[in-house]
Amino acid sequence: MTEYLRMSGVYWGITAMDLTGSLTRMDRESILEFMRHCQHDCGGIGASQGHDPHLLYTLSAVQILTLFDNLNTIDLEKVVEYIRSLQQKDGSFAGDKWGEVDTRFSFCAVATLALLGRLDAIRMEEAVTFVLSCMNFDGGFGCRPGSESHAGQVYCCVGFLTIVGRLHLVNADLLGWWLCERQLPSGGLNGRPEKLPDVCYSWWVLASLRMLGRLCWIDSKRLRTFILACQDEETGGFADRPGDVVDLFHTLFGLAGLSLLGETQLKPVNPVLCLPEETIQRLGLHLQLLN
Amino acid sequence: MHGRVKVKTSAEQAETKRKEREKKLKLYQVASAAAASKRANGEFDKEALEITQNILEQNPDIASLWNFRREILLFWEKDRQEEVQEVLSLELPFLESCLRVNPKSYGAWHHRAWVLVHAKHTDWAKELRLCGAFLQKDERNFHCWDHRRFVVQHAGIPDTDELEYTSQLISTNFSNYSAWHYRSCLLPRIYPDPEQKGRVAEDQLLKEYELAQNAFFTDPSDQSAWFYHRWLLGRAEIEDAITCVYVSKPLQTVLVSFSKPVNLRNEEDEAVLFVDSRPFPSKWQVPDKRSTFSHVWVCKLPPGLLEGETLQHCLHVSWKDGRLKKECLLYPGSKESWCQDSATDQKLFSLELSIEKSSVLRAEMDSCRQLLDLEPENKWCLLTCILLSRVLDPLGHASKTLTWFKKLLAVDPLRTGYYKDLRSKYQVEDGLLCMEYAETRVLHLARKELTSLFHLDLMVLVTHLDVSGNCLHVLPLAMSCLQCLQVLHADDNEIEDIEGVRNLPVLQDVCLKNNRLAHLSQLQPLTSCCRLVSVELGGNLVENLPDFYTHLHELLTHTRPV
Ligand SMILES: [Zn+2]
Repeated sequence: MTEYLRMSGVYWGITAMDLTGSLTRMDRESILEFMRHCQHDCGGIGASQGHDPHLLYTLSAVQILTLFDNLNTIDLEKVVEYIRSLQQKDGSFAGDKWGEVDTRFSFCAVATLALLGRLDAIRMEEAVTFVLSCMNFDGGFGCRPGSESHAGQVYCCVGFLTIVGRLHLVNADLLGWWLCERQLPSGGLNGRPEKLPDVCYSWWVLASLRMLGRLCWIDSKRLRTFILACQDEETGGFADRPGDVVDLFHTLFGLAGLSLLGETQLKPVNPVLCLPEETIQRLGLHLQLLN
Repeated sequence: MHGRVKVKTSAEQAETKRKEREKKLKLYQVASAAAASKRANGEFDKEALEITQNILEQNPDIASLWNFRREILLFWEKDRQEEVQEVLSLELPFLESCLRVNPKSYGAWHHRAWVLVHAKHTDWAKELRLCGAFLQKDERNFHCWDHRRFVVQHAGIPDTDELEYTSQLISTNFSNYSAWHYRSCLLPRIYPDPEQKGRVAEDQLLKEYELAQNAFFTDPSDQSAWFYHRWLLGRAEIEDAITCVYVSKPLQTVLVSFSKPVNLRNEEDEAVLFVDSRPFPSKWQVPDKRSTFSHVWVCKLPPGLLEGETLQHCLHVSWKDGRLKKECLLYPGSKESWCQDSATDQKLFSLELSIEKSSVLRAEMDSCRQLLDLEPENKWCLLTCILLSRVLDPLGHASKTLTWFKKLLAVDPLRTGYYKDLRSKYQVEDGLLCMEYAETRVLHLARKELTSLFHLDLMVLVTHLDVSGNCLHVLPLAMSCLQCLQVLHADDNEIEDIEGVRNLPVLQDVCLKNNRLAHLSQLQPLTSCCRLVSVELGGNLVENLPDFYTHLHELLTHTRPV
C-alpha cells in the first residue's frame, strides 16, 4: 500500500541504516535491481515500478545511489535532462509534467544536480529569484509566492540557497528567531506557530539553524530528550510524538536530528542533503554554511 | 504517518486487525492492478474512472492515479467534449469528499485546481465559499489557504476584499497566524510606501500598529501578533550602495565595501576603479580568499602607481554602470585615506521616524511598559520593549535594555542562545555608534558578555579592537573584513577557533590569553599575518605542550611571540 512513495521509503531506510553504521546489513543488490525498473524514458524516476516519474523520487533515487556509490545504475544524462525540462519560465520547478509548482521541487532539482555535479544545467538566476519571491514577513519561506512559512519549506529554501551559494540572501537573524521559537516546553519542535511538536521538525528546523550557523539558539538537551522519548522501546523506531505509531520517515529524521545534536553513536550527518557527511566528502561537494 | 496513537492490543484483537488489513490490501491490489492494466492497454474509459475513484477515495495521495484520470479526460477532449465537462463537474464533489477526509492531500488539491481551470463554466464564487468553509474547520490549513489565493487570482477578487476577510478572522481569533501572514502580503500591495519598496504607507502602518497592539493586549501570550508587530517595526530592504572606499599607500591596495554582499566577478556587478581619472584594470579579491559573495573587496595596485610625495591622487570606484560611485582623495604626504558613509546617517541601527511615527511608537512603548507591570514575566512583551527602545533611542535606553535582557534570559531559558546573541548584536551596534561619535578607529567591546561578533563588515577601518572578557568561542571567518586591524585584544574568552585572523595584512599584536586553544594546529591561521610582532597565549592549554615555544617559533618564523 506504500509503493506510491517506496523510493523515498528506501532512502529513509538505508540512510537511517548508514547513520547507525549498519548499511552492510541491507540487500544492496536487490535495491539496485528495484531501481533499474523505476526510471522512465523521460529520465525521471518513479516511486516504484508502474508509478509515474516525479522530482521527489528522482532525488530519493540519486541519494540512494550516492550512498551506494553506484550512480551509473541509471541514465544520469537523462536525469539531468528531466530536471531541466521541469524548470518553468519564472525559474520555479514543477514536480512533474502535470505542473504542480512548489519550492520543495526547487530544492529537489538543485539537490539532485549538486549530487550529480551538474548545477550548470538549469537557469540559476531565475531559480534563485523564484525562491526569494517565496520569502515572507517572518523571514521564512512557503510553497509558492504568498504562501505561509512552514519549517519544511524553510529547510528546502535554505537548503536550496546553500547549495547554490546564496545563503547571504536570507535574513538569518529574523528567520533564526522564528525557527528557535518552534521549540516548545516539551523540548520538541513544531513546524509553524501554535502547532504540536513532531520529530520530523527536529530535522527541518535543526538542519536550517545549522545551515544558518545558529544551532545554539535552541536548547539541545531538551530536544534530545524529546526525540529519545519518541523512540519505541519494542521496535526501536521513532514516531512523530511519544506514544504514536513509528515509521521510517520519523526514524530517519529522528536519527538525523540526534546526529546534528552531536550524538556520538551515529555518523555525522550533512545538514543540507541529509546524507552522512563522509558521503558528501567522498563526492568532494563543498557546501558553505554560515558561521 | 502523523498523529496515530500506538495502542496496546491483545493477541486476539491483533489477529482481527491483521485480517482486516489483509482484506483491505487484497481489494486495493486487485483494484490497482486493474487500473494499471487499463492504463497500459490504453483503455481510457468510464470504468477506469470508476476504479481509480474507488482507490483514491481511500487514499488520495497516490499521484499516478490522479495523473491517469487527467490523461483520460485529455484523451476524451478531442471528440467527447460534453462528457468531459460532465465528468469535470462531478469531479468537484468527489474531490470535496476526498478533501474532507484528508484535507492535507497535495494530490487532491492540485487535481482540484486542474479541474477548475479545465472546466468551461467554473463558478469561482462558489469555490471561494468552499475555501471559506474549509478554513472555518481548520483556519491554519495551508493547502486551503494556497488554494484560496489561486481562486482569488482567477476570480479577480480585489485585494481589499481579502484584507477585509483577514480582519474578520483576526477579530474572531487573534492567534490566526495564517491570517496575519496574509495581511503582510496584501498591505504592501494595497498601500505601498511610495519610497520603500515592499513596505506599507505610513498612515496604514500606524493603523496596523494599533491592530497588533489590540491583539497582544487581549492575549499577551499569543505569539502571532508579536511576530507581526516585529515585522511592522522592520525596515525596508537595504539598497545597493558603496559604503566605503579606502586606500593604503604602504600596502598598495584599495578596499571597497558595499551595503550588502556582492560578487564583483559577476559581469553585471563589475566595479571599475579609476586612479586619477584613468580606468585601472582591477582584479578584485575577497579578503577571506574563499567567499563568492562578500561585503568587502580588495584590489592590489602595481608598485609606483601612487608614487610622488607631492602629488595628490584620486581613487574613484564606479559600480552598476556608473549609477553608484564613491571616491577618496589621497593627499600629498599621507599614507592612507578613505571615504565612508556614517552608520548614523544611514540609520543602520534605527528606523526612519516621522513625527507621527515616533509619537505612535513612544505611546506604544508606554503601553508595553504598562503591560509589563501587569505581566512582568511575559517574554514577548520584554522583547518588544527591547525592540522599541532600539528603534527609538538605542544609546538612551542602553541600561534599561540590559535589565530586560536579564529578565528575558530568566523567563525563557529555552532560547538563551538567541537572546545572548541578540544582546551581543546590540552591544556591537552601540560600540560602533560610540566609535563614530568619538571619531576614532578604536572599537571597545570588552566585557560586554558577547557570545558572537556582528556587523564585521562595518569595521573595515578599525585599527584597534578590544573584545576581551567576553564569551566568544570563535573569531569568525568574516573577521577578514577588518583589513586595517593592527591590534586585537581577545583575552579571557572561550576561543577555540581563530580562523578570523587569517589574512589580516597589518595585524601586529594579538592577545589571546586565557582562552581554549589546546593544539598547535589551532594557531595555524596566525601564519598568514605577515606583520605579526607579538602574540600572547598565556593561560591556554596549548602552552603546556612540550617544547611549545620552540614549536611556536617554528610556526611563526617571522614573528616574535611573547
Ligand atoms: Zn512528522
